[in-house]
Amino acid sequence: MQQLADLGDTSGSKPGAIEVRDLSHVYDGVNGQVKALEDISMHVAPGKFTVIVGPSGCGKTSLLMMMAGLRAQTSGELLCHGAPIPQPDPKRVGVVFQEASLYPWLTAVQNVEFPLSLRNDPKTERRERALQMLALVGLEGFADRYPHELSGGMKQRVSIARGLVQDPPVLLMDEPFAALDEQTRMTMGHELLRIWSTTSKTVVFITHSLTEAVYLADEVLVMSARPGRIIDRIAIDLPRPRTYEMMATDKFGGLRERIWQQIRSAH
Amino acid sequence: MSALWTLLQRPKVHDAIAVTSAEVLVAFIIAIPLGTLLGVLIAEKPYLGAVFKPLLFYVFSIPKSIFLPMFILVFGITFAQKVAYAAFTTTFVVLMSATACVESVKNEYIEVARSYGATRRQLILRVYIPSMLPMLLETIRISMIFNFTGVMIAEMYASRTGIGHLIGSWGENFQMPQLFAGIVLLSAIAILFNESVRWLEERCSNWRT
Amino acid sequence: MKPSRLPSPQRVRWAMLVATLLAWELVPRAGWLPELFLPSLSKTLLVLGSDWSIYGSALLITLGEVAISMLIACGGGIALGAIVGGLARLRVLLMPIFSSLYAVPIVILYPVFTAWFGVGPESKIAFAGIYAFFPVMLSTAAGIRTIDPQYLVAARSMGATLSQQVTRVIIPASLPTVFTGLRLGGALAIIGVVVAEMLTAAAGIGYLVTLNRTILDSPRVFAALLMILLLSIAYDIATRKLERRLLSWQPAGRSTIAMRGASSSPTTNVSAA
Repeated sequence: MQQLADLGDTSGSKPGAIEVRDLSHVYDGVNGQVKALEDISMHVAPGKFTVIVGPSGCGKTSLLMMMAGLRAQTSGELLCHGAPIPQPDPKRVGVVFQEASLYPWLTAVQNVEFPLSLRNDPKTERRERALQMLALVGLEGFADRYPHELSGGMKQRVSIARGLVQDPPVLLMDEPFAALDEQTRMTMGHELLRIWSTTSKTVVFITHSLTEAVYLADEVLVMSARPGRIIDRIAIDLPRPRTYEMMATDKFGGLRERIWQQIRSAH
Repeated sequence: MSALWTLLQRPKVHDAIAVTSAEVLVAFIIAIPLGTLLGVLIAEKPYLGAVFKPLLFYVFSIPKSIFLPMFILVFGITFAQKVAYAAFTTTFVVLMSATACVESVKNEYIEVARSYGATRRQLILRVYIPSMLPMLLETIRISMIFNFTGVMIAEMYASRTGIGHLIGSWGENFQMPQLFAGIVLLSAIAILFNESVRWLEERCSNWRT
Repeated sequence: MKPSRLPSPQRVRWAMLVATLLAWELVPRAGWLPELFLPSLSKTLLVLGSDWSIYGSALLITLGEVAISMLIACGGGIALGAIVGGLARLRVLLMPIFSSLYAVPIVILYPVFTAWFGVGPESKIAFAGIYAFFPVMLSTAAGIRTIDPQYLVAARSMGATLSQQVTRVIIPASLPTVFTGLRLGGALAIIGVVVAEMLTAAAGIGYLVTLNRTILDSPRVFAALLMILLLSIAYDIATRKLERRLLSWQPAGRSTIAMRGASSSPTTNVSAA
């Protein structure tokens, strides 16, 4: 039932795919060099929802930052859409951070417009597009609210809208729901899947929550503690659209259990 | 620097230092209990706090030195006048700090103690005071700074005695070496006191984040 | 205690204000305090009205000095504060020195300024400029540190160039801190100028206070005091209103970013004078 996804598929040039080959990353720590990531190789097929889990400090955020073009690896190759990504490219990759990082001096719609305004797109087009995105995430009525007037879940939704506003084929999400309470998390996860199913993006999602991982993913990559390596790939072949009821099934529990075992053994 | 040394030798300067120190101390002794009392009151009775706290912000933006003439009119140019003025200005700072001090004792600490049946006296001695100690020291430190400043202003404004007066007259008579020596002396004393209290603060604060 | 029975704090404050004004008028009239100590409110206002040209021109002089000191203190203080706050090395080096210097009453430097610059506005401007400079700088340095670095990471992820990061993120994010600096600087500049004018001057409102005190003309003294009081309060109210309007995106209650920026001690934003 569980298969290890095969690394051999080298269709890295298809749009939306992420290809990582033998990536390692070393940085200068306080007591000398620290190996953060070791021989990471992975392939994310276009339109798939991939979740990365692993213990704290295993380097998953660093890996995501590299996929976003915000950080450069010390060795190995990372391709997105067939080309390397030395600098952030919001047309290829949208990023959603754990802290929504919305700018408090801008309204919701202005926050979503922000990436477009950096490129000096015409005002009316920007606003229209931003409003479209807000509608997509279910916040049509809140366009002119300031972030301090929004709840945590709503702020993250604005953050997602912002990540999608330039229609990048890839969306990277770094524990976006970590700061929310459990009930909101479940709702947001469900929402995210709805949004994803209407837009067919490639998503790479980091989380600490195993339940979240199994619920959302097509494939779960398990990383070890530092230096981070990929120690397992678990295909989640639960049917879509996912429902809350699935969480109560044995299959769901089994998958979760397997991930948990892998993480524990990796310490 | 040599001017400083000769300065320290002159009896006139000794007298001035004595007078100023006396004023500073007396004002301090008046202001601390007064300010603390009022501050605690405001912290304990939320209603009073709601009424007076906004006023405190205004109090701090007005130049309190404008009240000096009033003090002079009432007391004349005397020891009492300077002490009264300095105590006046310092009390406000002590008040505000004391209020902040009391309010800084986290509610959780209080609830825990009360849930174990602590009496009011125990609460004060075993929870409030240890919790407030570093902040109390800081209050003393900052109040002294304000106190010293108050005395200096009063002495420079209208006085026949004290270091502040000496500094003013040296300035007027362009006796620059003495002036600078005086400034250095005063700064040294102020910083010395400040750092000593701060050292004490550090010693008592090791449980704080 | 039944809170609903007590009048609202706002009302109480207004009541206190009215009571104070009434007392100011009636106490001297009734002879409970000699007119020398406390001239009645009406006398004070009359004198203010009749000598309006004197008070008016003095006020202008004072305001001019305040304005220029503010320029120095806020301009320099905010700029330097931003630099010191932003650069960790500098900050770690300089902050301890500055907080030690805070213990010294700056007033004692004033005679130096009068010796160098004379009795005119220059000495006041120099003094008030320096007096207001350090607190503004310290406040700005602390405030700059509260800007969430994640804002810049997010901006980079959206493809912002360096100049865009500065203009579109750093500058808006530091507005609350800058405003606090302006408010603080102005208040301190007013205080500094007034104290200086009271000590040694030839013009300005503070000078009028001292002048009339020495000739025991209490109503005129109090008229000048009243003006100063009104000036400080007006400035405080005006800047707070402005802040609230321009920074409407802040959460309710005090501008929290700026508040977090102030150091843990509640008294670093106040002046000793």
